[in-house]
Amino acid sequence: MTLEMYLLLSAVLFSLGLFAALSQRNLIAVLIGVELMMNAASLNFMAFNRFSVTDPATGQVFVLIIIGLAAAEVAIFLSIILNLYRQRHTIDAESITELRR
Amino acid sequence: MTVELIVVSLFVVLAVAGGVMAARSRQILYNIIGLGISLFGIAGLFLQLGSPFVAAMQLLIYIGGIVVAIVFAMMLSMPMAIDPPARSLPKTIFAAIGSGLFLAGLVGLLNNTTFETRPTAGDEAWAVSRIGNALLEHYNLVFEALSVVLLLAIIGAILIARRDRTPA
Amino acid sequence: MDTTTLILATTFAPFAGFVIAILFLHRSPQLAQVVVTTSAAVALGGAVQLWLNGPAEPLRYLWFTSGAIDLYFGFLLDGLNLMFGVAVALITLCVIVYSIGYMADDPSKTRYFALLAFFEWAMLSFVYAVDLLQSFIFWELVGLASFFLIGFWYQKPSAAEAARKAFLMTRIGDVGLLIGVLLVMMTAGHFDIPGLLDPDVGLVTRLAPATLTAITLLIFVGIVGKSAQFPLHTWLPDAMEGPTPVSALLHSATMVAAGVFLMARLYPLFLAAETTRSVILVVATITALLAATMAMVDRDIKKVLAYSSISQLGFMLMALAAGSLFAGVFHLITHALFKALLFLCSGLFIHHFATNDLEQIGRSGGRGMRLTTIGLLIGGGALAGVPPLSGFFSKEEIFAALGHGGGSAFTIAAFAAAFLTAYYTFRMIFLVTVPDRIEPHTADDHHEGSAEPWTMALPVVVLSLGAALAGGWGDKIAAALGVEISHHSIGDMLPAIGVVAAGVVLAWLDFGRGDRAGFLTRIPALQSLFSNGWHIDEIYRAVFVRITGWVATLLHGMEVKGLDGGFDRFGVGILGAGSGSRRVQSGWVQFYGGCAVVVVGAIAFYVGMGG
Repeated sequence: MTLEMYLLLSAVLFSLGLFAALSQRNLIAVLIGVELMMNAASLNFMAFNRFSVTDPATGQVFVLIIIGLAAAEVAIFLSIILNLYRQRHTIDAESITELRR
Repeated sequence: MTVELIVVSLFVVLAVAGGVMAARSRQILYNIIGLGISLFGIAGLFLQLGSPFVAAMQLLIYIGGIVVAIVFAMMLSMPMAIDPPARSLPKTIFAAIGSGLFLAGLVGLLNNTTFETRPTAGDEAWAVSRIGNALLEHYNLVFEALSVVLLLAIIGAILIARRDRTPA
Repeated sequence: MDTTTLILATTFAPFAGFVIAILFLHRSPQLAQVVVTTSAAVALGGAVQLWLNGPAEPLRYLWFTSGAIDLYFGFLLDGLNLMFGVAVALITLCVIVYSIGYMADDPSKTRYFALLAFFEWAMLSFVYAVDLLQSFIFWELVGLASFFLIGFWYQKPSAAEAARKAFLMTRIGDVGLLIGVLLVMMTAGHFDIPGLLDPDVGLVTRLAPATLTAITLLIFVGIVGKSAQFPLHTWLPDAMEGPTPVSALLHSATMVAAGVFLMARLYPLFLAAETTRSVILVVATITALLAATMAMVDRDIKKVLAYSSISQLGFMLMALAAGSLFAGVFHLITHALFKALLFLCSGLFIHHFATNDLEQIGRSGGRGMRLTTIGLLIGGGALAGVPPLSGFFSKEEIFAALGHGGGSAFTIAAFAAAFLTAYYTFRMIFLVTVPDRIEPHTADDHHEGSAEPWTMALPVVVLSLGAALAGGWGDKIAAALGVEISHHSIGDMLPAIGVVAAGVVLAWLDFGRGDRAGFLTRIPALQSLFSNGWHIDEIYRAVFVRITGWVATLLHGMEVKGLDGGFDRFGVGILGAGSGSRRVQSGWVQFYGGCAVVVVGAIAFYVGMGG
């Protein structure tokens, strides 16, 4: 596989994640979309790392850091979801319109 | 058709199919399974791209940790018996237009760009110890910042999810 | 002991005190007091010994290397740091000892003393920092300590609110400071303070004037926040919600002075940036005058002192901006002493009479507390600039500096501010010591025991001596800074004396006799303007609400025009949702995100198609 094919795959995955994040009603599904997008970015890093970087440690470090950040993000996101569910008994993205106030 | 090509194609198919499943299904359980499949495919591609270590980390942390955490959140938050509400059509169309535009833009960019490729570095440059050295030397500041972020995330998660002891 | 041991003892003794107290001594507040007091005494001993040893080579320990940048953790030991270190350690110890009496009845004493130790650690580490990033880290920690201590009585909504306000206001400034520090790193490639200030290879020699101006202005934004200068000054009066010893320590003598100290620390950079100094001069002058007018009308003794702190900090920055490092630092030191003294005295009054009101304190027999009244007279005299107390000499230096490098308008403004200072200080003194009538207060006003226990009296005595005598330390301070000073003749000092005398006389005419009303009551417009703090808080509220409204209207327009019924479910909900700002936003996050994505996608599409 060439670099361009990997990049194309990554673009497809990213758009899928974007679609999920924008269209899903369940907040957990929105989170899943975000995860997909992050993985698309990881894939991009790894592809460039393979094909056009002299020191291959660089891209791998980036991907590891992305994984770490994703873990932090998931922890916060899930705790927010749990709290939301406890308070309002729903995690439907459309019923959460607090920003309006 | 070499075996390698078949394996890679399999991974690509897994990644995309999983992604579609994660993005399209209304059932949260299928979303999660789709994410897991997609992540597995991507981990395979990492392996193909020469980094067994990162692939292993992807499997361990992402699938072993993050996906499992999401499963827990699902079990804690959503009554499984309830049929998920339908998505409104305009919203789905809007999201499709947005992400479709984005995809088209990315593909166009890919089309118009020529990427400079270099020969792949030797096996020794791909050693895991090189990653460790890079993390603790050149990327030390990033590493430290990430550790702080993780700590804050832990504290924040505890604070947010903690049950309020005083009656509201 | 060698320097390394000393400096480590000085900075880490308070830290050890904090850790021990917060972790192990929750059940035994008495022991926590002892531990924290001991650690503060050790810190003071170390700081004094370092000062006696004189300037030494900076100590640097490599923290880590990231790319081409080495981050050091270390201690800079030159005259300015050593001197301010002693001042901080001395005042902190005084305040801690004083707090033993002041907080005797408080249920969470351990937390209080632990936080004081935490503050001292952060402040001393900031003062001695060798690395600009290290300075910034401890600068933030000092802010954090301030947040905790203002909100110490967090059960009180006003205290919690004040703590939040102080934290946010200073954060606004710190954004500027952080950008400035990062700019320094980008241009110089390191954070080492002596290296940055070096006259041969330092920042000044390398940078274009415009870059230097940008860096110094950004750092000044941080100083504006920390030192409560106009327009970010509004947090300081509210910060008086904390316990009074905390106000003495953080919000007058040490923490708010950190901004002025930072400017003195990086003085060569500011000296080279002409434009920045003009900006600082204007801002500081406005602050000095504005805050002085507010202090003229407030009845709360702590608020008067808070406004006067803002005003005096403005004085220091004026001196620094006018080109005299010595005058600014001299006033910094004397102000730290006499303002801490004034706050401790006010704390004694508040503790005994359980009121912050000036007239109430006077009528309840404030002058009956002999020692406190003497302290108030010395501190107030020094603040007003009565010769031969310390404040007179440092202010005199500021006038001289402004005469040299400030221009006549600023000199006049400084004299006006000094006149107002004398007026409001003696208004406070007269209201407390010569009230219009004495109301013998009822027995239940009395606390158990003495009105002036020795733990609270001793710091007052120590600081009184300092505030009275510090005027004679000019030569030592100048020597520590390595600058030449010229001595002024009596003739040069006459205008300053005259201004102070005029202020005192006017205060006597208004508040020493008659109805104690003050001339401002005859000008109701000014009276209300001053007592509402020039309405600056209201203006902020109005402006921010207005801007939010505009943004909301804009979004509303986009939503209505851009969607036009496509989202009827939400659109109907939006339009029917009611009046005001509620109507203009749907609050539906995915729509906002979607709009952003469509715009980005369109741009990507355009670029991708080779546009």
